[in-house]
Amino acid sequence: MPDNIYLPELARITYIKEEVAGERSIKTFRVEPVNGDSFEHECGQCAMLSIFGRGEMMISIASSPLVKDYKQFSIMRVGRVSAAFHDLAVGDVVGIRGPYGNSFPVDDWRGKNLYFIGGGCGLAPIWPVITTAVAQRDSFKNITVFYGGRSPRDIMYKAELEKLRGVADVHLSVDKAEDGWDAYCGFVPANVMDKEPSSDNAIAITCGPPIMIKYVIQNLRSLGFADEQIYTTLENKMKCGLGKCGRCNVGKDYVCVKGPVYSWAELKELPEEY
Amino acid sequence: MEKILHKERIDDWISALTGWEVLSPALEDGIWAYRPVSGAIRLDHPNTTQPPKGLAFPQREVFFSFEQIKGEAPRLTQILPDTVQRAVFGVRPCDGRGAVRMDRVFGDHVEDTYYQARRKNVAYVGLACNQPPSANCFCLSVGGSPVSTDGLDVLLTDLGDRYFVAAVTETGKALMTAANSLFDEPADADRQQLKSVHTEALAQPQRAVHNPDAVPAKLKASFKSPLWEELARACIGCGICTFLCPTCHCFDINDEVTGSAPLKGNRVRTWDNCQFPDFTMHTSGHNPRPTVGARLRQRVCHKFQYFPENFGMPQCTGCGRCISECPVGIDIVSVVNKVVEHAG
Repeated sequence: MPDNIYLPELARITYIKEEVAGERSIKTFRVEPVNGDSFEHECGQCAMLSIFGRGEMMISIASSPLVKDYKQFSIMRVGRVSAAFHDLAVGDVVGIRGPYGNSFPVDDWRGKNLYFIGGGCGLAPIWPVITTAVAQRDSFKNITVFYGGRSPRDIMYKAELEKLRGVADVHLSVDKAEDGWDAYCGFVPANVMDKEPSSDNAIAITCGPPIMIKYVIQNLRSLGFADEQIYTTLENKMKCGLGKCGRCNVGKDYVCVKGPVYSWAELKELPEEY
Repeated sequence: MEKILHKERIDDWISALTGWEVLSPALEDGIWAYRPVSGAIRLDHPNTTQPPKGLAFPQREVFFSFEQIKGEAPRLTQILPDTVQRAVFGVRPCDGRGAVRMDRVFGDHVEDTYYQARRKNVAYVGLACNQPPSANCFCLSVGGSPVSTDGLDVLLTDLGDRYFVAAVTETGKALMTAANSLFDEPADADRQQLKSVHTEALAQPQRAVHNPDAVPAKLKASFKSPLWEELARACIGCGICTFLCPTCHCFDINDEVTGSAPLKGNRVRTWDNCQFPDFTMHTSGHNPRPTVGARLRQRVCHKFQYFPENFGMPQCTGCGRCISECPVGIDIVSVVNKVVEHAG
């Protein structure tokens, strides 16, 4: 940890890509430290991004820890700071501090079948696990990615998902049928049921809107997945990232420290207040 | 180190504390707060309206300033707290125990840069409560006592015309040693009197949380109780309960812009409050604690369930301020008792 836990490092934006257009647009940003080395992170951890004069926001790091040159963030335009981020250009300098939170126990998953189940911008928090597993392809058995958006225009990481085919099974979906869409039509939990993944030697990792997560977990349970085989991530309003500002707790856990990653076995022990 | 200090010498003791800014309870506009000593001090206050927590965790503090010329990298200048040593006289044992809890929050996991910088320069000279200073005191229900030394550097006990002065920490010893000649050695009679004063203090009637050891488990079982909304119905969400609490530590961090072209401003920490609806509201509008009942439950469960689960002690120190100062009469002792009773 740095001497001053609240003082961000400066980082330069080196890449911006619009993933999804429209009212709830999503842009991907890559940042590189202005002054030499930055912190290392693990899959699932988050960072606090700053625009000076606007404030800070907690965003999950979407790039693999194996990528050392930059950190990637995919950000939906929703609030004050995220909207300001969307107005930035390559070359602009922002603040970053972290990493915060726990991580996916990826090392424990070697030799297993991995099922990733994402919806909307919920692909970003599990993307570092997907790309890490793909980079270490021989360490894992089958890799399967379920991902859905409201419409074909709401699918993020389109090119990257296409590139995954060959090393992973990719099952895309959109909520409503539309001309030109030849993959699955329907909600993500239904797509999972449709493909009937086997719980044998498997881990399922899901992230997306709360209602999607709820039904994905329900469906995985009915497919025979044990609570310990299902992982998800929580999000909450955060200010410090260090378990001190007091707002992101679910029961006794500050999500910024004990989370964001939980197995369903762990999460169901906490009060339902998220 | 244990000594006797005749009351008329307390001002001389304070004068001898060179290098220390000394604070003591002062009544200003009907509010008791700790203020720098000017003139003679009297330690006959009830408990202060405001606890001394602001000395290590001020209501508002600047973390750093920023300045940015358009198109250039921002320049950040960290603003660290002053290094003035402050000795606070007259701190009640519940507030000493409050400091112990704040120290855990801001010291465990990762040390809070700003809290630690201030805290290491603050010493607490406590005053035992021979009588409960408030009708809402309940320190005995939360593991405390009117003569507790937890979190204090020195404990004074009023023996009528003199104080029994006991050092608790090395800092406390140093405060006493700075004025060695003012103190007398305690005689057997002084020790006898101290013992009987403390025994009497412990026997004073107080408000009571019933069966405190069972409270965390009963609260856990009562998470979905309809009682929370009922008990919170009167709440106006003003947050006075948390602002006056010796252990409430929630805060917000915001940027305050002071100029443009170049952009100038400060990143500022201010106290925040779990009783405000937007405290937990996501940018999407989703709110995990959308009702007054959910927010009262958070305050009560944090004090009496979550904090004990994390730190092995209740977060509440039984000072009773949140009860005395609540404008609508929400009473944490009766809330806990009712929920626990309802849990069966």
